[in-house]
Amino acid sequence: MSELTYVRLKSKKRSERTMNAITLLLVLLFACMALFPIWWIFRTSLMTNPEIYRYPPSLIPENWLFSNYEKTLEIFKFWKYLWNTMMIIVPSCLAGTITATLCGYAFARLRFRGKQLIWTLCVGSMLLPVMVTLIPLYIGWTRGLGLQDSYLPLILPYFCGGGAFNIFLIRQFILSIPRELDQAATIDGAGYFRILFSIIMPAIKPAMIVVALFIFIGLWNDLLQQMIYINSSDKFTIALGLTNFRGQLKSDWSLTMAATCLSFAPGVLFYLLGQKYFVEGITMTGIKS
Amino acid sequence: METFYKPPQRRSRLLSSEASVAYICLIPAFLGLIFLTYLPLAGVLGISMTNWTGLKTPEFVGFDNYVKLFTTDPYIKDSIKATIYFAFLSVAGSMIYSLFIAMLLNRKIPARGFFRAVFYVPFVLPAVAIYVGWSWLYEANFGFFNFLLSEVGLNKVLFIADSSYVVPSLSLIAVWLSGNLIVIFLAGLQNVPSSYHEAAEMDGAGAWSRFRHITLPCMTPIIFYNLLLSLIANLQVVTPALALTNGGPGNSSRFMTYLMYDQAFVNYKLGYACATTFVIFAILAAFTAVLFKTSNRWIFSEGGDDK
Repeated sequence: MSELTYVRLKSKKRSERTMNAITLLLVLLFACMALFPIWWIFRTSLMTNPEIYRYPPSLIPENWLFSNYEKTLEIFKFWKYLWNTMMIIVPSCLAGTITATLCGYAFARLRFRGKQLIWTLCVGSMLLPVMVTLIPLYIGWTRGLGLQDSYLPLILPYFCGGGAFNIFLIRQFILSIPRELDQAATIDGAGYFRILFSIIMPAIKPAMIVVALFIFIGLWNDLLQQMIYINSSDKFTIALGLTNFRGQLKSDWSLTMAATCLSFAPGVLFYLLGQKYFVEGITMTGIKS
Repeated sequence: METFYKPPQRRSRLLSSEASVAYICLIPAFLGLIFLTYLPLAGVLGISMTNWTGLKTPEFVGFDNYVKLFTTDPYIKDSIKATIYFAFLSVAGSMIYSLFIAMLLNRKIPARGFFRAVFYVPFVLPAVAIYVGWSWLYEANFGFFNFLLSEVGLNKVLFIADSSYVVPSLSLIAVWLSGNLIVIFLAGLQNVPSSYHEAAEMDGAGAWSRFRHITLPCMTPIIFYNLLLSLIANLQVVTPALALTNGGPGNSSRFMTYLMYDQAFVNYKLGYACATTFVIFAILAAFTAVLFKTSNRWIFSEGGDDK
């Protein structure tokens, strides 16, 4: 009997090892497929145009023409676009994270009249698609407040809690912190804001970073709103600049791809810096809601 | 419920200040809910009943815009079709792809964190750059995909310039972008108790039946969340049309949100565009409602009966 179990275990172990090897091969294959488009774009950005059109195409450029990037930067004002984009993203991330934390704290910890109603309205707005309110908001910002060709319509919404989803996220996270901590602080005479700043905020730092990253990604990926609110070319963001650049240089693929790669770079950089929080945070959204 | 805990009298002043602290904290949310959410929502409905073009003072026209939209509008039908087609392909594709990748990554493999990062990275790239980059891969004569096709002896395909290929081509990009779904799936898979699998293995259950009867049921809440997330996102698709196709060729990629953009910000028919918005909203709400309605039938909750 024990002999049999031993043999079975051994064969099981062997079959598991082959399974793991197959898995690794599959993962490698898919990882290469997932990275391939990025590599193809990058390798194109380093080639001359005749080399691009050669048949069969080569996977690796003959000479790594980094001068393509210099040429691109002459027309594609990357640094300016990046600066402009940051002018929108940085205040939005800061304001969104702070106001989402304040609201999340109120919903998670404080008792007040009308809490249930306000919370329901908040959760309800989470299911409201962004595009539904686009036109009235556009009219409000540009007609009502006269904010034409300005970043403010893109930034100011983040001063209002940074979206219901982020408030929800912060609230869930605060709820998972033991209440005894606040109570102990209350006994020591700390006020509600003191508790928020000295106990809650340090404990929910990962959630706050995640909210900031979500706001970052949202603005980073947006084209529609930037298109309707920003008109003059010296206010263009990366998204607008690249769209415009592509229109100008329809057939010069190596320069277009160089501009594309330049636009990829900040995202990759931010991701590498915040990778730990990204994964943690996205995991959190999936599990907690 | 609250009667169990009677706060002493002394706390009542504290309590009122607790409420005032709460209201102060919630000022941003109040502003947001009123001015950025519910007032604009009412605004959409109101403006959709007018013939506002942004120049003249708007006149009330009742349901004229809606009638026009459903009887004479040349685009709306194609637009709804294109959007649902795109959303269906993208949601189905990215759900299958991301669950499959997550299951691979959930096995014991070296450098799992690295691979997870690889699959996630497309998600952090700016959307416009992704579409511009992929338009080169899809290029008609020298693009990579046409190179592949010619290698296996097939004819060239105008991926984004051919009305029958444009939506599937854009969907493939959407699938490639579903790195966040992979990360959520992976977290869900790690929460499936391994004791279930061990017990089933003892009873001689094969890999497929373990997947079918353990992994899938335990994952249904996560599947629901991801389904909801990707359905709402994909039904609102607009960036590829703005950055790449301008709704073409023909109307094959004139997605609903792009249609609304075109009416409002290219043709300045604000009232008419609001009617379109409301129709899109109704469609989105219908899809979400169906998903929620059916959810209790297939979502497995631990401790509850599996029905």
